[in-house]
Amino acid sequence: MKIPNRPAALLLLLMLCGPLGAEPTEAQKAEWRARREAAGGEAPSEAQRAEWRARREAREASANAEGAKPAASAHEGHGQAAPAAAKSKKAPASAASGMAHDHAGAANRPATGVAVDKAPGKPEDAARASGRPAGMGGMAMRGGGGAVWLSDSPPARGDGAARGGMGGMGGMAMGGERSGPPSKRLWLRAGNDPQKSGFAREDAEAESQTLLVRPQGVLEGEVLPPPADGKKNLAFEMPVQGYYRVYASSRKLQGETLNVSVAKAEIANFSHGGDEEERAKALVAPRILESAPIEIVREKAADEKTFFQLKSGDEQAFVVLQKGLPVQGARVRFVSHEGWSKEAVSDEQGRVSFQIIRDYFPAWDDFKKRFKASYLIIAEANAAEKGVFKDQPYSTVRYQATLAGNYYPSPDDYRSYAWGLGIGLLIVLFCGTAVYLYRRRRLKPFQEVRFDER
Amino acid sequence: MSAKPMLQRLRDAANEVDFNRFRFWFQLVAFVLFVYGGYLAIDLGSKLPFFSCGYNQEGRAGVCYLLPLQHQLGRNWAVLFSIASLSILTGFLGFALWFIVLNKGWCGFVCPLGTLQDWISALRRRLGIRFSNYTHGQFAQLTKIKFVLLALLILIPLGVGGGFFSHDMSPPFCLICPARMILPIFTGDLSQFTIDFSSKTAVVMTALGISVTALFLVGSFVKKRFFCFFCPMSALHYLISKPALLKLKKDGSKCTRCGDCYAVCDMEIKEIADDVTTTNIMTDDCTLCLKCVASCPETGALKATFAGIPIFVSTEAGFIKRMNKGCQHGK
Ligand code: SF4
Ligand code: SF4
Ligand code: SF4
Repeated sequence: MKIPNRPAALLLLLMLCGPLGAEPTEAQKAEWRARREAAGGEAPSEAQRAEWRARREAREASANAEGAKPAASAHEGHGQAAPAAAKSKKAPASAASGMAHDHAGAANRPATGVAVDKAPGKPEDAARASGRPAGMGGMAMRGGGGAVWLSDSPPARGDGAARGGMGGMGGMAMGGERSGPPSKRLWLRAGNDPQKSGFAREDAEAESQTLLVRPQGVLEGEVLPPPADGKKNLAFEMPVQGYYRVYASSRKLQGETLNVSVAKAEIANFSHGGDEEERAKALVAPRILESAPIEIVREKAADEKTFFQLKSGDEQAFVVLQKGLPVQGARVRFVSHEGWSKEAVSDEQGRVSFQIIRDYFPAWDDFKKRFKASYLIIAEANAAEKGVFKDQPYSTVRYQATLAGNYYPSPDDYRSYAWGLGIGLLIVLFCGTAVYLYRRRRLKPFQEVRFDER
Repeated sequence: MSAKPMLQRLRDAANEVDFNRFRFWFQLVAFVLFVYGGYLAIDLGSKLPFFSCGYNQEGRAGVCYLLPLQHQLGRNWAVLFSIASLSILTGFLGFALWFIVLNKGWCGFVCPLGTLQDWISALRRRLGIRFSNYTHGQFAQLTKIKFVLLALLILIPLGVGGGFFSHDMSPPFCLICPARMILPIFTGDLSQFTIDFSSKTAVVMTALGISVTALFLVGSFVKKRFFCFFCPMSALHYLISKPALLKLKKDGSKCTRCGDCYAVCDMEIKEIADDVTTTNIMTDDCTLCLKCVASCPETGALKATFAGIPIFVSTEAGFIKRMNKGCQHGK
């Protein structure tokens, strides 16, 4: 009966030491914070945070007013249209099916106008945009309202909707979920701010094409038909696991300059009960399109899991490619959910790296750990290439690529080791002592059994 | 030499085996397999009938069935009451197939959390500290708790899916399961030892989880297999144990009610000694550790059978051999 005990005891000791060894994580957190601060002006300043907070509150206030009487939006000049639409919680479908069908169309109209038509409300927006460390003002003005990009939500829903699901559990097996293959909808939007970009306007002069590359389809991709039936979203099914990539490219001549833009979206479609082999294949498959005139590729970390989620505070690298080859010297801009931006220039490997900032500062009671925020990457490169487009000669080409993605609050923002270990230790001590005292009491004979020796 | 004595010798060898040593090594191998097997790319699926905890993301070699079960039950009701929920049935079938092989033997020989409790008990014994027992009254009350937990484990996810409870309550049992906190430690992951302040429910659930883990550590130090007594997996096992292949049988006519088996039973199951009428003697608390068979001095009184074939039978010779060994160790 006694043979097994030595190794067991060793293992157990190791285990018991485990929780104590956990302390350094506080230090780790401090280091993380320090690193973030050391990264320079990357973290938003207090003033900026205050501004965001104020803006959010103002928006909420105006949204509430809006909810009561939609027509009253004109009385306030601040963030009236788009945020109002966002807050009044229009069903995404109705937002997508075109504003004209909407009964509240009048109130919504400026939302599209903001980005596309330069309707009233635009001047204020423009002013705000220029107030930011932009530095790329030149490239922005295309398609009527900034870069064109592919979003997984329509403009009216720009405010990150919390999605249920993984909740910090990473790759957990949960069995198959829905019936039928999952599908995805994407919206082409124009603007340099994830929340404020409206629908991209169709441009008759431009030559455009949309390609979809499926995980097990042809590497060159297949043409994805434009939205039909007055809808604004691109839709496709995702029957197999893997990365689905959509490239919406357009060419347009402006004077002597040919503008070439590629808006890219990459959707990771993995399911918990899914086929292992399929998944393994998808993880090593190429994620670039060799025919793309320009594209941004999100670099995967070596240890990245299948169910990866980018978190505030993470470092994320992107690579700019032209026809599959790295572009040096491309200007790349990162725009956060709240519109904060930072610019960098790609190195000889076409690589740039940004730290994903934290810009989600709600009142603590409203904090959602699954808050889905969007970031936008815009890359631009110019080239002195001569050629002819639609019988018109051009002497320079301006390439622009966009890629949008999501990020979530960092667990470090809402989880505490100190409290966890503190409570654990307290209970162990308390219960341990209680058991000890109880058992000691039971060692003494019961009162009835004791003799009074006097 | 004919085949029969050959078989007989094999049987004798099995019956006279140094059972505790065998079980220790079996448990150790199973522990390493299910806590570190993931590093060797072993993946036995997500229907395992014991606590191979899914939160041990790096090392696990398969996932405890309670996790996917709670997730599946926690779906939105529109999905839950659709054809998609066929996967709940197929999932349960997979679980039942695993379970049928070893019956509750998964608890006595394989479950990493059960093994850990045995190791904590071994440490206590080494330190010369005596163990605690429940009184019969306490036993009768406490033994019901696991069924209550099982019911909650099913009802709370349904409530979450129906929108009655917060998503931060899902998966409810995992949030209070000590395995979620303890097993990842073995692969150096301490992230479960945190309080989640993102919502009130999350604070309560994570604090509850840590409290249960603290109780687990103290409890299993003074009480053998402290947690197994409350384990909803064990309750689920018992509900479907009829068709299982591994069985614990008793021949009451050979039993002298000496009480040896009761004395060694980690789960304090009195029936194992007192009940001389039931042949299928496995109770809801039993972990099928077979220590009772090893300690029984009456030939043929207790035996473990697999698909009807006796694989480990109590014998006088085996008893004497094991006891002598124990004595020599005492020297
Ligand atoms: S937490 Fe417990 S019940 Fe949940 S998967 Fe882990 S071992 Fe199973
Ligand atoms: S009863 Fe004990 S051994 Fe069995 S699954 Fe539960 S914790 Fe593991
Ligand atoms: S009755 Fe026997 S097999 Fe069951 S737990 Fe007790 S000693 Fe183990």
